[in-house]
Amino acid sequence: MAYARRGLRAPKAAEREQAATMALLLLGLALAGCWGNPSDEPPVHLQQNMDFQERGEAQERNDFFADHRVMRPPVPETVAVGHLKEDDHMWRGRLPNGALADALPAGLELGPALLDRGQKRYDIYCQPCHGEMGYGDGPATRRGGGFAVKPANFHQDKFRPVPLGYFYDVATNGKGSMKGYKSQIPVEDRWAIAAWVRTLQVASNAEPSDVPEQAAAAMADQRPRRIQ
Amino acid sequence: MPAIFPRWTNNIPIAIGVLAPLVGAGLVFAVAYWFSPRYTDVGYRPEQPVPYSHKLHAGDMGIDCRYCHNTVERSAHAAIPPTATCMNCHEQVKTESLRLRKVRESYQTGEPIEWVRVHQLPDYAYFNHSAHLAAGVGCASCHGRVDKMVVVEMVQPLSMGWCLDCHRNPEPNLRPLDQVTNMNWDPAAEDYDPKRDPARTRQVNPPLHCSGCHR
Repeated sequence: MAYARRGLRAPKAAEREQAATMALLLLGLALAGCWGNPSDEPPVHLQQNMDFQERGEAQERNDFFADHRVMRPPVPETVAVGHLKEDDHMWRGRLPNGALADALPAGLELGPALLDRGQKRYDIYCQPCHGEMGYGDGPATRRGGGFAVKPANFHQDKFRPVPLGYFYDVATNGKGSMKGYKSQIPVEDRWAIAAWVRTLQVASNAEPSDVPEQAAAAMADQRPRRIQ
Repeated sequence: MPAIFPRWTNNIPIAIGVLAPLVGAGLVFAVAYWFSPRYTDVGYRPEQPVPYSHKLHAGDMGIDCRYCHNTVERSAHAAIPPTATCMNCHEQVKTESLRLRKVRESYQTGEPIEWVRVHQLPDYAYFNHSAHLAAGVGCASCHGRVDKMVVVEMVQPLSMGWCLDCHRNPEPNLRPLDQVTNMNWDPAAEDYDPKRDPARTRQVNPPLHCSGCHR
């Protein structure tokens, strides 16, 4: 026995057990005290240093108000200065005669910048349901049992003749089972999205001859972009 | 006359000489390690009132961060979405789910869901999300791979020293301006030089003076 050679006696079973328990406890302590251990206890700050002050921050709870909201909802039937939204074309997508407008409102200019913005905003807010190309087949429709009412496919014939203001109006106020996005997307971006939807429609019906010569040459050089 | 101190007390100075540095070093280590925000804050993973999974929504489905946190590009505060945002889809999908009971109740009553805040800076530190997004700092740089988190947790200490590490040398954490919310964009795999990016109209110049953040 190795113990006997060194002039030691072999440990008893109880002692071994004791040693194992102690080792486990120490290991447990060491692991519990490591950086980055997950915990649902709020962080303990030993030196508070005015970390938390008596003031309201966005979306915080505050018991000063009866509804406990720091952020006060606007008083009903009031309009904040500068938020009257007088421009019917810009805010409601409608002409003076009440019909939906088929052009961008004054102040927004159709161009690559607006369409680029429209595409990027569409990909954030519309693509989850309507799909990247607008066929109504976004990822949200394919999960959790799918949608009872399918999102609109912009390439259906009934959507081809509708005015630009229609897409703006639906993005703003919703339609059927789709909710409005006026609180989620600023007004200029809703117009940019409407312009992008129209672009998708035009693109799906385009002929190779519609592509300008310069762009066609550039397209021939470019390999198809891989979708990540 | 008998000795006042017994003989063994001769060992006390040696013992102090040996033990004091050990205890001192132990204390220094303990404060540096266990008082650090890397210990006190990193790994904070509170249980939320609704078991919302970022892995499912942002990861598997690929919904952009800004679909819900829509104020992040325009304001200092990246808003927790109102219940109405959840209901954009959940009035259609999983309408009977028990896990979504509190969401439906909140939508009907107008009472907000009281989500537990995970990332909280001290009140004396000014932080602006929109400025960081405009500079091309990715969400993942500070919040980690949220698209892989079933329960969101803190992965960075959000301490002053950690902020300054990046303010002194921001380039490793900069990415193309249109890849800010892309969780898969890997700075190690991309050869990106912000100084040569034509989309950047001006170079980033993060403040290093005190009043940059303590205003």
